[in-house]
Amino acid sequence: MEKTFLLAKSNLRKNRGTSIGLFLMMMIASALIGVSFLVFFDLYPTAGKEADRLNAGDGYISIRYDLDGFTDEKIEELFAKDTDQYYAYKNIQLGMCSLPFGNGNVAIDLTLSDRSTFTRPMNTEEIVLEDATVEAPYIYLPYQFYTGGGFKLGDTFQFDLKGVEHTYTVKGFTNVAYGGCNNTAMFSAVVDDASYAQMQGQAGSHAEGIMVIYDLKEGVKDGSFLIAAQNEILHVNPKAVTSGYALGRVLSSRSFMALIIAVSFLVLTTILSLAVGMMLANSISNYVKENMKTIGALKAIGYTGRNIRGSLIVWFFSLACIASILGVMLSYVLMPVFANIIVGQMGIPYSASINLMAILVPILFVTLFTLLVTRISSRKISKIQPILALREGIESHNFKKNRVALDKTSLGLNTSLALKTFFGNLKQNVITFLVMGFMLCACVIALLMYENFARKPKVDILTTEVCAGVLTVDKESADELLTFLQSREDVKNIRNILSLDIYYKDEQALYTYVMDDCSKMNNQNVCYSGRLPKFDNEVAISGAFAKSKGYKVGDEIPLRYGQTEYKFMISGFIQSVNNDGKEAILTMAAAEHLFDTSLPNASYWFDLVEEDEKCSVNISNTEQIFEACKGQYGAHVINTLNFYEIMEGATTTFKSISVMMLTVMCTLSVIVIALILYLLIKSLIYHKRKDYGIYKALGYTSGSLMLQTALSFMPAIIASAAVFSVVAYYGANPYMSIFMRLFGLMKCNFTVPVIGVAIIATSLCVVAFFLALWQTRRIRKIEAYNMLVAE
Amino acid sequence: MNTIIETKKLCKTFSNGGIQQHVLKNIDLTINEGDFTVIMGASGAGKSTLLYALSGMDRPTLGSIEFAGSEITKMSTDEMAIFRRSNCGFVFQQVYLVDSMSVMDNLMAAGLLVSKDKKALRKKAGEILKSVNIEESLWNKFPTQISGGEAQRVGIARALMNDPKLIFADEPTGALNSQTGKAVLDTLTAINEKGQSIVMVTHDITSARRGNRILYVKDGEIAGECLLGKYVSKDAERHEKLSAFLVKMGW
Repeated sequence: MEKTFLLAKSNLRKNRGTSIGLFLMMMIASALIGVSFLVFFDLYPTAGKEADRLNAGDGYISIRYDLDGFTDEKIEELFAKDTDQYYAYKNIQLGMCSLPFGNGNVAIDLTLSDRSTFTRPMNTEEIVLEDATVEAPYIYLPYQFYTGGGFKLGDTFQFDLKGVEHTYTVKGFTNVAYGGCNNTAMFSAVVDDASYAQMQGQAGSHAEGIMVIYDLKEGVKDGSFLIAAQNEILHVNPKAVTSGYALGRVLSSRSFMALIIAVSFLVLTTILSLAVGMMLANSISNYVKENMKTIGALKAIGYTGRNIRGSLIVWFFSLACIASILGVMLSYVLMPVFANIIVGQMGIPYSASINLMAILVPILFVTLFTLLVTRISSRKISKIQPILALREGIESHNFKKNRVALDKTSLGLNTSLALKTFFGNLKQNVITFLVMGFMLCACVIALLMYENFARKPKVDILTTEVCAGVLTVDKESADELLTFLQSREDVKNIRNILSLDIYYKDEQALYTYVMDDCSKMNNQNVCYSGRLPKFDNEVAISGAFAKSKGYKVGDEIPLRYGQTEYKFMISGFIQSVNNDGKEAILTMAAAEHLFDTSLPNASYWFDLVEEDEKCSVNISNTEQIFEACKGQYGAHVINTLNFYEIMEGATTTFKSISVMMLTVMCTLSVIVIALILYLLIKSLIYHKRKDYGIYKALGYTSGSLMLQTALSFMPAIIASAAVFSVVAYYGANPYMSIFMRLFGLMKCNFTVPVIGVAIIATSLCVVAFFLALWQTRRIRKIEAYNMLVAE
Repeated sequence: MNTIIETKKLCKTFSNGGIQQHVLKNIDLTINEGDFTVIMGASGAGKSTLLYALSGMDRPTLGSIEFAGSEITKMSTDEMAIFRRSNCGFVFQQVYLVDSMSVMDNLMAAGLLVSKDKKALRKKAGEILKSVNIEESLWNKFPTQISGGEAQRVGIARALMNDPKLIFADEPTGALNSQTGKAVLDTLTAINEKGQSIVMVTHDITSARRGNRILYVKDGEIAGECLLGKYVSKDAERHEKLSAFLVKMGW
């Protein structure tokens, strides 16, 4: 054993450059796996853990508009039998408000509470950041306003409610389970007592609300409980407006983007780890070849193959152990950078904790992989005879063809010699080709995310339908406003779309879009199997939900609204990331089987005739249409939604995430390519040191030899860039689809910008060339004389 | 007779672990055009060091070397490389052909450094290869596919490609058997007879007989010089003169 350690120590000392290169690659692989696992197993479950800590129970039901009859006794009667515990409290429920968020606005229900929210026993709000010096009127906003909404302590927070401006100073940010994220349909804020009382006065009794947080008894199903409880609430007071969300649905809405990012990150790190693994295997194999003479000498003086293999295993395994441990530590150092951005979307305070999966998996993966590769690569050591090893193994030259004959080629000298080196170094070039290709694919996927989440957000995967704006108008003026809109030259594709919860078997609420003509939908991609409904007996329904209940396209599914139930035929499956993946689309005629569609207010969704490249212009143009409608119909216009403004606000966090992903991937690609070229060129120079000495003796300058060597990698690099650009361009969507299916997105037509792919491919080629040139600088140190004397 | 190389106070010192070893000591030397100069000496005397210093492959510690009118000790590494292209040819003890190149390519790789006319270069390479008795059937073979003697003659052919002012040969027969070694020496003699200047290091008396001027290096200095005149095969008097010189030098 002592001999083995002695040899391992000597190896480490002699091969510092290789050791450092491999060490860095092992560390990068380990850090990346560590970060992925931290995102998956530490950050992603944080939403659930925090909800437990804040005692958020299993869900909530809100009651508002008319609270007559909802005494404490009645609430107890409604909730006590099915729950282990529940807690009811009053708050102000302002309904849909347009709130400043990120670069735009977010249209979301807003609830206001007083300071008692910090001490209540269930759904407690916790102050994360606070400026005690801020005086009333102040507001505590959900933490997401800080992480993703662009607000700081002391900022002014202003919103409009029924034409009245409300202005507060931001005193703090809170961690809250329900109403903490722009994806959960509600923001929950806390104001000072005076402001609370003032808002109660202004908003009136209809804004008074009751929130009931419940913790269900074992065996009680969320869905059926919610439906039953809401029905009973309406029995108590039919004028009351009620809504409810199970915790699971809130958590899923809150963290689906974190999951998408975690998966995307894992996708990228898998590619990266493959590249690093391949390079690791090659480097170890090269080491064995380079040191064949030493191996022969050691065998000649009595070392056994086992001793020598053991020393290699000890050397690489020690490297892997230290590198992977440092890699895991590095993952904890890097995690806050990634976490901050993901937290921006989740709105939950997070600090990485000791996570066994994130610590053990990278260490085990890197060390065991290294062990395996070392064992396989060093097998030949046991078999080789000392004399053969001393002759540096059996040289299996295969010069059947003289590639790029210098007397015949029309190429220049440097190019010709570079090509000769290329053909003589095919194995290394195959590795360069693959590694470069993997990195290019990773960058293209990051580019895809940037293009579709940041530059031109692909809103059709985030929402069922897209438009420029939505005008909700009362029944009285609905027809007139429609005529008014139709007469405008800047508006097109007007469709009336109602949205409401429809139920499946008293169990599950399906968020349903009811529209006059589904063919007018902009987002036809929403239906990935079958087709959108045409006739009055058809429904398109979330595929994941339908499949979980055993339904296929063409089957009949019973749907209920109130007391009316009707069996619809499933015309197609739709994809949805919102509403816990439970959505449906009906035509107006079909919805007539369930309720009178003329009763609800009309919601006109419309598009702009001319959509500008700049989002700000579209926001302004849409706003002008709203103003014109309001000017014409005044209070009949109940609500407006500027879709551009909302998407601008909602995608703020996605933008920073995708920009980060692109930056990280490009940087990592350059680092990995640099490391790989370092190891390959180091090995190449070692193998060709005699040739370089001869060339120098003949009169070749260091510069021309460096150029030739760097150029010799370019065919593989350029070919890889060309081939993998095409592969990535056509493969990115199917590849992403595999992972997006996890979120119910079965059909993702992400845009992959050709120019972007070309820029990345060209940039990586140029960077790789200069990196290769830089790595070949050690050729300068090769003195023809020293080489000749040494030989 | 023109002088190709002239050295003044040429010194070379190696430093190893703080211990300095003076390998060449104040050597003043001239190499003349058309000469077949042989440098002899015991192992470690400094003969190879002198050869590589003269050729610009290694830098002296002190002193100057004027090669074909240029002071080469002041040249940068790259300037020296460019200078070597057309002024120096090398024949080494180990063959040192580029294994991944064919025989023809090895010559072309040298020739293309000074000319871009591939057609002319190929013709010239063919002529040189023929002149050193390398048959055309071997031109597209790789160095590992030909014999050691043939490979060494290809090395000589490569050294001749750019019409160098001087060929430096370092123990060119050291790794060959007597028969193939003789063929190589015959080739060197033949090109010298055509006017090619040669400086050869050897410790083999048979090889040394080919030279017309013998320099003996001892402890880093030129200990003596022997002029033999034009080489004639089986010249007993020449052999005796050389033997006497070497005995005198302590060979």
